[in-house]
Amino acid sequence: MNGITQSTALWYASRATGVVSLLLLTGVVLLGMLVNRQGRLPGFPRFVVTGLHRNLSLLAVAFVAVHVITAIADSYVSIQLAAIVIPFTSSYKPVWLGLGAVSLDLVLALIVTSLLRARMSRRVWRGLHWFSYAAWGSAVVHSLYSSTDLHHGVLLYTAIACWLAVAIAGCWRMAHAGREIPREGRAAATLEMMSPGRGPRRGRREAPAAQRPGADIR
Amino acid sequence: MTPGTTVPQSAGSRWDQPRGQRHQHPGSGLPRLFPASGAVPVDLRTHLSRFTALPYLGQPGRLIPVLKAAGLTGRGGAAFPVHRKLAAVADAATRPVVIGNGAEGEPASDKDKSLLWISPHLVLDGLQLAAETVGSAAVGLYVHRNDRLQDQLRAAVAERAEARLDRIPVEIIDAPPRFLAGEESALASRISGEPAMPRFKPPRVFERGVAGRPTLVHNVETLAHLALIARYGPDWFRGAGTADEPGSMLCTLHQADGRRDVVETQLGTPLGSLVQLGPGTQAVLSGGYHGAWLAAEDAGQLTLSNADLRPAGSFVGAGVLAALPADRCGIAETARVTRYLALESAGQCGPCFNGLPRIAAALGEVASPRPDPRAVTDMMRWAGLVEGRGACHHPDGTVRFVRSALQVFGEEIRLHTQGRCVDPARRPFLPLPARTAMDPADWN
Repeated sequence: MNGITQSTALWYASRATGVVSLLLLTGVVLLGMLVNRQGRLPGFPRFVVTGLHRNLSLLAVAFVAVHVITAIADSYVSIQLAAIVIPFTSSYKPVWLGLGAVSLDLVLALIVTSLLRARMSRRVWRGLHWFSYAAWGSAVVHSLYSSTDLHHGVLLYTAIACWLAVAIAGCWRMAHAGREIPREGRAAATLEMMSPGRGPRRGRREAPAAQRPGADIR
Repeated sequence: MTPGTTVPQSAGSRWDQPRGQRHQHPGSGLPRLFPASGAVPVDLRTHLSRFTALPYLGQPGRLIPVLKAAGLTGRGGAAFPVHRKLAAVADAATRPVVIGNGAEGEPASDKDKSLLWISPHLVLDGLQLAAETVGSAAVGLYVHRNDRLQDQLRAAVAERAEARLDRIPVEIIDAPPRFLAGEESALASRISGEPAMPRFKPPRVFERGVAGRPTLVHNVETLAHLALIARYGPDWFRGAGTADEPGSMLCTLHQADGRRDVVETQLGTPLGSLVQLGPGTQAVLSGGYHGAWLAAEDAGQLTLSNADLRPAGSFVGAGVLAALPADRCGIAETARVTRYLALESAGQCGPCFNGLPRIAAALGEVASPRPDPRAVTDMMRWAGLVEGRGACHHPDGTVRFVRSALQVFGEEIRLHTQGRCVDPARRPFLPLPARTAMDPADWN
């Protein structure tokens, strides 16, 4: 059987969405670390990082959903419905598909707890959010061993780029763990940045300050 | 009493004129919390000669239906029904902590300081009653940093201990001079030995507060009302105020001529009889720095009640009313206060410590001559982004305050775009503390 036929379309779809899911999940993890360290994307306001982290994670979930559904619907290998969420029960590659199930379960838990964040203890939410690293990690191992797509060529380089990006970002995150503006100074730092003569409005003021009425006000 | 409220019959007789006792029912006249004349601290002897002994001591839970019938709500600003907090804490599995909150971080408010200074024993009465009602053995009074006041309170506590009035010892706890120090969860943090910064909810402090125990926090004025309701009953309490918002409250009034005063007034009193609303006043700030500006002509139509003020975008809050003189710039005043509010952010939540300084800076721009026309739209966009976010209501309150200024002082903004201002000298009017938080120690 060569090329994409009716019978192989689902299989290809599952593999393709799997790769895209890995890319998206990697992006979510990277942005999550940036959110945690209060970093920002160059040229964007700070809330963009948080917004992108959230929206990208929902997009990733959509791709993961398609990846899983097409994998079941495809008849090339039979994957039982229960094996999607119950790890290591699949008859086909139980360990490697099982890691995918682990990842899916963790992602679902992260989504549910984040939607309910306002209704739960902050500490519990934070603790559970650490599992996002485990979710990403098990997805990576799953992607490497449940198919051979990532074993060579462009996809291998893409996968390596994902691993390296998260590894480097993880080191950066740990290195910056203690380095942050003290809470007391944060608002003052932003105010300083926003004050006239700096920040977005730089260079706009034309009249010399002393000539304007009320110029002495801060 | 309103129909439909249930009060134990046995307790009913207690509220009638206490015959045979030396001192008569004070009537429903005001003031209730302060002595009829003078602002001299009421010592224990005077207090005991003025008020009868406290009922309901040693009777856990009995006071709760009485407070429900009275309709007493929290006087710290949130106006939450007092009986519900008490019931929630009384039902808790572990022994609760009870704290009287006199932190009064709002710079424009003096009422808690005044009450603690003049009528400390009413507050201490209320604290004991609340503690016994919920079965607590750990009681504290959280008071802003003022040595004279704290010394007098410690003396009052010691005097009561000597007279064997109180069964539960009261600890005086120092509140840092921060705007947010009196927020319930910040209070719980502070008393647990951490910085006085708000925490995320849940858990609410009545579930898990000081040292992880259920904690009942009531404003000191609420406790003083509670001590009077226990003595004179719900009917007496409802002799002042409106049916929906009964009783009296303490208000801090800032008149346009610069006078600053604390008065006790009934809820439902017309604002015009509290602050001067003549041609010398352009707007009234109601609800303090988390409240809202009202145009003077609108304020004249309203009474001191949430029923009136909520639809106008404001609320009663902790009873701060400030009349802005006609010759001051409302935008400059709002910008000055907003800058202070931004710097008082605890720096914990991104929307707050990033958003409020941006809003403050944009408002500073609007307050300057010929402001950047983008400033107002920027501000409105940022306001939308910070609302409802974070651990406490600091962003919400600040946004409410700023939005109301943009509405009420629209004419002033137009003047600024022409390079003019009603008060180019920018004389400050609203009170602000000399310094804001600079280092971690300022939150302890």
